[in-house]
Amino acid sequence: MRLLLLAAVAVGCAAPLRAADPPAPKGEAKAHAVPYRLTDTKHVLVRAKLNGQGPFNFILDTGAPAVFIPKVVAKKVGLKVDGKGWGAFDTFEVEGGVTVDNARCRVEDLFQLEGMNGMGLAGVELHGVIGANVLARFKITYDFTADKLPFVPLDYNPPDPKGLSGKGGQGGLEVIGPVMKMMAGFMGIKPSFDVKAGGFLGIDAEERTGGVFVTTVIAGGPADKAGIQVGDKLDTVRTNSLDDLGDLKRALAKTNSGDQLKVEIVRDGKTRKLTVTLGGGL
Amino acid sequence: MTTQRILIGLLATVAAATATPAQDGKKEPPKAAPVVVGMEMLPSRHFVVSAKINGEGPFRFILDTGAPITLINSKVGKQTGLSKTGGGLFGGMNSVPVKTIEIGGVTAKNSTAVVMDHPTVKAISDAFEKDGGPIVGIVGFPFFAKFAMTVDYQKQELTLTPNGYQPGDYMQDLMKNLMNAEALNKPKTVMVGALWGFEVGKEKGDEKDGVTLLKVYPGTPAAKAGLKAGDRLLTLDGRWTDTIGDATIAASLVKVGKPAELKLTRAGKELKATVTPVKGY
Repeated sequence: MRLLLLAAVAVGCAAPLRAADPPAPKGEAKAHAVPYRLTDTKHVLVRAKLNGQGPFNFILDTGAPAVFIPKVVAKKVGLKVDGKGWGAFDTFEVEGGVTVDNARCRVEDLFQLEGMNGMGLAGVELHGVIGANVLARFKITYDFTADKLPFVPLDYNPPDPKGLSGKGGQGGLEVIGPVMKMMAGFMGIKPSFDVKAGGFLGIDAEERTGGVFVTTVIAGGPADKAGIQVGDKLDTVRTNSLDDLGDLKRALAKTNSGDQLKVEIVRDGKTRKLTVTLGGGL
Repeated sequence: MTTQRILIGLLATVAAATATPAQDGKKEPPKAAPVVVGMEMLPSRHFVVSAKINGEGPFRFILDTGAPITLINSKVGKQTGLSKTGGGLFGGMNSVPVKTIEIGGVTAKNSTAVVMDHPTVKAISDAFEKDGGPIVGIVGFPFFAKFAMTVDYQKQELTLTPNGYQPGDYMQDLMKNLMNAEALNKPKTVMVGALWGFEVGKEKGDEKDGVTLLKVYPGTPAAKAGLKAGDRLLTLDGRWTDTIGDATIAASLVKVGKPAELKLTRAGKELKATVTPVKGY
């Protein structure tokens, strides 16, 4: 299907598009803009592809001495693990264009992450943490008023962490994992990490005296197909009568692509009932 | 196993904790200049900073970007007036207000902390306190979120610039989530909040990077930027778009009127386009 579509558009030519930039010269300490999100649990989440697979969700954690991933992820990406629980990635790519050469990790099932995933508390599935052995190779600025984290590569590769000597086990490393991720198992929650887009109408609207009025209808979009026109007053959407655009947003937030949305509009003084099959558009 | 049971116990206390009102994400204009603070790296690769709590101290804390709360042991909690009785493991998992947390002359006012003797903090302190004194807790999100904080492991430096961010309250958010457990079990509906003008899809069994543009609506920002149905969208505003959900999340994080760069392939060639989403529903 993909090949067919590509063939179909190959003859087309779009002026505003431009060829991809050439790769930056190696060794230059240029800041990468790494997209992140704060989880519902106030963790700094970035995504990484491991050995070309993923993306996987990681917490940036200066409280962890190294990268930690659970056994299931290690297996999925074909990681070779030595007898001491260390693995080495062929490739470790952080979203935003950061590649980490020769990145190593600990393979351990962290009960903290299992606990949060078990409850779905973070609002997103967590796969691992990125700790000092990779964090130390970048100067990172954490600023939650910005939507990206600058990663400036440093010419620095810190020595392997030492465990808490005399604490038994493998030098005590297992004790210090990530210092704190709180939370353990909780019964009755089987969290879903799926994401769906809210329903797409394909219009713009504005508030005027007397209600919410349609100002744009996208040709061929769901609203257009249902017969909604520019100038229509949106009276009721779903079961909500609309006083303002906030009401429209709230109504749409309860819908998904493919849903049948009942809409009452007022046009030329007459109320009409329409049904919009919501799209999956953005 | 012991630790796990302890944490389950703590959780039960969390649910009963009182919390201060959250003011998530509200901005104030930044005022102060950046301040550089030295850190000390432990052999375990944890960073230690010196912090004064309510003017007392300094005490040694682990700086932990993975910690959603600031943690202070019961001894220091008592010494700094945060808890009258001392926290203890099961007694005091409450978020308490902290008037000031000061690191290297930089002060976070009106922060929060939990007074608690955390077994891991104690283990690290026991292992390394001979070189610089005990480690009494963890400085976490409620402190550092109030700053643009640059962490430089090589120089062992923190650079802190107040950024006006209000961290909200982890305990309150946690409670909200726990009380709304039913919602955790359902797929999340993400509202894009802006109009781009395209629809993406991915066939079952398609494991390749990106998603395919199924439709590009005429006259929309996507059409104006030259996108075409059949293009493969690889990233949107720097975020990978390997699933429909990921593309939706990436689009939802771009504000109306803010230009975003899209990376695409068409006929095997990589292309970039700038799309500025408009208001729409």
